[in-house]
Amino acid sequence: MNAFELVRPTRLEEALEVLSEDPETVRPFGGGTALMLLMRSRLLQPRRLVSLDRVSGLDRLDLDGEGNLRVGSMVRLRDLELSATVERFCPAISRALLTLSNVRVRNVATVGGHLAHGDPHMDLPPILLALGASVVAQGPAGPRQIPLDQLYLGYYATSLQPGELITELVIPPLPEGTRGSYLKATALSADDWPMAGVAAFFRLEQGRIVEPRIAVSAATTTPVRLPAVEAALAGEAPSEALFSEAGRLAGRDLHCLSDLRGSAAYKREVVRVYVRRALQQVWAGR
Amino acid sequence: MTREVGRSLPRLESEAKVTGRAEYIHNLTLPGMVYGKIVRSTVAHGRIRRIDASQADRLPGVVAVITAAEVARIVQDPYYGPAFHDQPVLAVDKVHYVGDPVALVVGEDRDVLEAAADLVAVEYEELPAVFDERAAAEPGAPVIHEVIRPAATFTDLKNLKPASGSNVAMAYQLRHGDLEAGFAQADYIFEDEFHSHQVTHTPLEPIVTVAEPRGDGGLDIYTSSQSPSFVRMELARLLKWPENRIRVRTAYLGGGFGAKLYMKLEPLAAVAALLLRRPVKLSLSMEEQFYTITRHGATVRLKTGVTRDGRMVARACTIWWNGGAYADIGPRVTQKSGFTAAGPYDIPHVSIDSYAVYTNLPPAGALRGFGIPQLVWAYESQADLIAHRLGIDPWEFRWKNALRPDRPHATGTLMRDAGVLEVLQELKRLMRWDEPFDRGSGTRRRGRGIAIGLKAAITPTTSVAIVNLYGDGSCAVYSSTVDMGQGSDTVLAQLAAEVLGLDAREVRIVHPDTDVTPYDMATLGSRSTYHMGNAVLRAAEEVRHQLRAIGSEIFKCRPEEVELQDGHLVAGERRVSFKEAMEWRFGMQAGNLIGVGSFTPTYKKPDPATGESEDITTFWMVGGNGAEVEVDTETGRVTVTKLVTVGDAGKALNPGLVRTQLSGAALMQLGFTLFEEMRFEDGQVVNASLADYKLLGMRDLPSSVVAEFVEVGATHGPFGAKGIGEVGSLAVSPAVANAVFDAVGVRITSLPLTPEKVLRALKEQAGEIWEEVE
Ligand SMILES: Cc1cc2nc3c(=O)[nH]c(=O)nc-3n(C[C@H](O)[C@H](O)[C@H](O)COP(=O)(O)OP(=O)(O)OC[C@H]3O[C@@H](n4cnc5c(N)ncnc54)[C@H](O)[C@@H]3O)c2cc1C
Repeated sequence: MNAFELVRPTRLEEALEVLSEDPETVRPFGGGTALMLLMRSRLLQPRRLVSLDRVSGLDRLDLDGEGNLRVGSMVRLRDLELSATVERFCPAISRALLTLSNVRVRNVATVGGHLAHGDPHMDLPPILLALGASVVAQGPAGPRQIPLDQLYLGYYATSLQPGELITELVIPPLPEGTRGSYLKATALSADDWPMAGVAAFFRLEQGRIVEPRIAVSAATTTPVRLPAVEAALAGEAPSEALFSEAGRLAGRDLHCLSDLRGSAAYKREVVRVYVRRALQQVWAGR
Repeated sequence: MTREVGRSLPRLESEAKVTGRAEYIHNLTLPGMVYGKIVRSTVAHGRIRRIDASQADRLPGVVAVITAAEVARIVQDPYYGPAFHDQPVLAVDKVHYVGDPVALVVGEDRDVLEAAADLVAVEYEELPAVFDERAAAEPGAPVIHEVIRPAATFTDLKNLKPASGSNVAMAYQLRHGDLEAGFAQADYIFEDEFHSHQVTHTPLEPIVTVAEPRGDGGLDIYTSSQSPSFVRMELARLLKWPENRIRVRTAYLGGGFGAKLYMKLEPLAAVAALLLRRPVKLSLSMEEQFYTITRHGATVRLKTGVTRDGRMVARACTIWWNGGAYADIGPRVTQKSGFTAAGPYDIPHVSIDSYAVYTNLPPAGALRGFGIPQLVWAYESQADLIAHRLGIDPWEFRWKNALRPDRPHATGTLMRDAGVLEVLQELKRLMRWDEPFDRGSGTRRRGRGIAIGLKAAITPTTSVAIVNLYGDGSCAVYSSTVDMGQGSDTVLAQLAAEVLGLDAREVRIVHPDTDVTPYDMATLGSRSTYHMGNAVLRAAEEVRHQLRAIGSEIFKCRPEEVELQDGHLVAGERRVSFKEAMEWRFGMQAGNLIGVGSFTPTYKKPDPATGESEDITTFWMVGGNGAEVEVDTETGRVTVTKLVTVGDAGKALNPGLVRTQLSGAALMQLGFTLFEEMRFEDGQVVNASLADYKLLGMRDLPSSVVAEFVEVGATHGPFGAKGIGEVGSLAVSPAVANAVFDAVGVRITSLPLTPEKVLRALKEQAGEIWEEVE
């Protein structure tokens, strides 16, 4: 790994200033769990790392006046996992965190780093995508809010501008009665990155599916929503046959990516099965 | 009276380890020390046209760039290896795999070295490369080594005849009975091929060596080695020095598993230190370990003739071992493991052809089981297949064919002291094989499987030990056995304590230091408890003899009447402490009582034509595994819910350690079975990190892990003990695959059992089409 200088500003403005010097060789540092792997394999060779751990104001974790869940970018994944607020807000998030890597990684990895990394093999982005979440980014041009479906552009590519930082995650409240599930498939060890991940949410009104949201990640270059599947589910009465059809549609529409963890063909098979199973779980209220 | 033997004493070094105080070479720094970083080949096979180190040399902080040209100033003939002298200290003219060491940059700052290594420009003329063991063995394949020279260091390898001009570095053959006649007697003939994949050791403490030139012209080597005696011998040979000019020391090893055997970084560290006249430390990264040593991939073809009632009457085994670019200990794997390829079965007509094949992949050596798991994968998968085809219970089939006591193994050596039957019986009991079994339903199908493996000890090898009683009556054992976590310190202390009437916790084990501790062949192949154990016993008995002589003078009785208890000499009512005995003997608290013990078992070289010998191994190792699995029929994911391991310990000197060795080996092999796999693209490892080469994690552990032993005493083992470090790993892979077959009826013939592979097989079985995507 190359040598680097670590700076630890205490104010956001300071951090942004250092980052704006030369975004090519200066890099924000959240928990460093992803960054260090990139640097060790020498895919990245930054000269300076700007640690955000002392920057004040990046650690909020609460509901705002409109009922949005607001999570500061330096909140550790472990804090998210243990938060009663999160558990009440959306239990699927709390549950997904239990199998996200291991407790040692979760103790240091941050929400901001997790969302900015852009690796599709991550557990929270598909859930947050399904929930319609967005991030607040701060940069030389001031703050802006980026919906998650506009954040991920490609494999390790995000729409964050050079020198821009994620400062907050904003998740809008779920309509009353909505239930969700996240299923993670691993091909290697059980604590591996996902080979495919499926998030599913819906609620029932008069026995009909309302506002279904399905998102897939890891099998694909970016986390994606599946509008065609959602359309096929909306307004229908839940049934095994419907969920199987949803799985089939999901597989048909998806452009999967082959990697060490599975071929595109296999991933498509798994997505088919997992979309069906995730919907079944939501229906069963598990 | 035994107090120490059979006692589950916790490992003596546990406290030092968990409090971070145990000594590791990884942490060693010496005054004036510089670091080295290896520049590695980026091509799989090629001639080196030019090495331009000028840019790297100019980088501030770089002390030197060393290539084969500089190596030649210290070592004229730079080739080494335990079986063949085929591996140069640094590449000479040619590179043989991606990762082959080409140059060494040396400097004070490790971060600078990485940049410097990038700046060493190497130009190659690429040659055609070959990666598959079958393809490499074909005539016309690109030849990787034009000439191969045997090493002749070890007795058991002396008659290996390398074959130059082909990639088949060595061919071993065994002919037992009359194969043709055997197949003629068979009602059914089964022909199957099984494939094992490349995996690697990943010790958490990567391979590390520090070399320090001494003022007196000698050389000190501090190394995380499993074979300090061999390192000294081989370095002395390379340098043309007497062995006594070189001192090799080890400390605790953060795991070894066979990765740290023979020579690894030592020759390069030694040359660099001698060139620069300062201490040089070479330590691999986790990534570099993937480029240094692996476990052989192998193709095993079995043709087995069986009678209608389920007797195996003939078996022809052909094995191609993917040895990678350098032989390392591959030829020993080819022979020693090769000759057990027909399994622990009584088959009258057997032929075995075992080929060590060079390929342009990282070198393969020994990894917990020495090639046996690859063979057991084949013969125990086939045993299951045959049993099912004949409608015989898989356990009954094994029981029926098992080698019984005093029956000849295919090598001609009689089965003696080998717990084949006992292991099978214990396996049956622990698996509750006769009881009804929940087979699951819907998309979750359950199954169970068993398998059993046989391994021979590497024979003949020598261990020497010294037991030293100091003036105050305290005791130390000097042994070159390396404790890498297996607990050898504890067991050797127990043996010495047993003989001398001490508490094992009071016995000091002096760690390998070739200036101090005597010769030991190496810590490998489950040999230490048996060989070094015997040497320690003999050394301790010598000290006991001397103590009894002193006691007989003090007590005025016959020596045999003097007993050793709790650090005292005892005769009837009279007691004197060892300290008092030493004072009596030397007139004050002074002197030493020294016992030396050495052990080399008997052996008879196999006949080169038939491969037979009536004394091929000093003891047999037998291990069995059973697995219960749950298969998700829609994703192919295999969950092992119960893993049973049974090993024949001979005599469990420390039952607690025996069980943890058995379960540890089994779980290591479970990772290899389910998903650990080195992946290559054009010979380049593409998952050389623990991020992408995943090890078995806590959440992968079966909910039930059972490890038990049987005790069929070894006639020449210390108190009957045998080695136990590998037997837990032997049969895990086929046990799991057999359970998968039992659950869903698909037979996987190539490892690992990834969900994708299982799902593909399930779809094929169901006649469904697997739609490929681009
Ligand atoms: C062994 C291991 C296993 C893992 N397994 C899983 C898994 O199963 N599932 C899963 O989802 N994840 C997994 N992860 C990934 C883990 O979740 C990410 O590493 C983590 O979320 C990244 O967080 P971090 O704070 O450490 O990011 P960092 O490493 O600090 O940063 C990651 C990237 O984001 C940039 N960055 C950091 N903070 C910000 C910010 N506030 N604004 C803009 N850019 C920023 C960095 O410059 C870097 O490019 C695993 C990681 C490891 C090491």
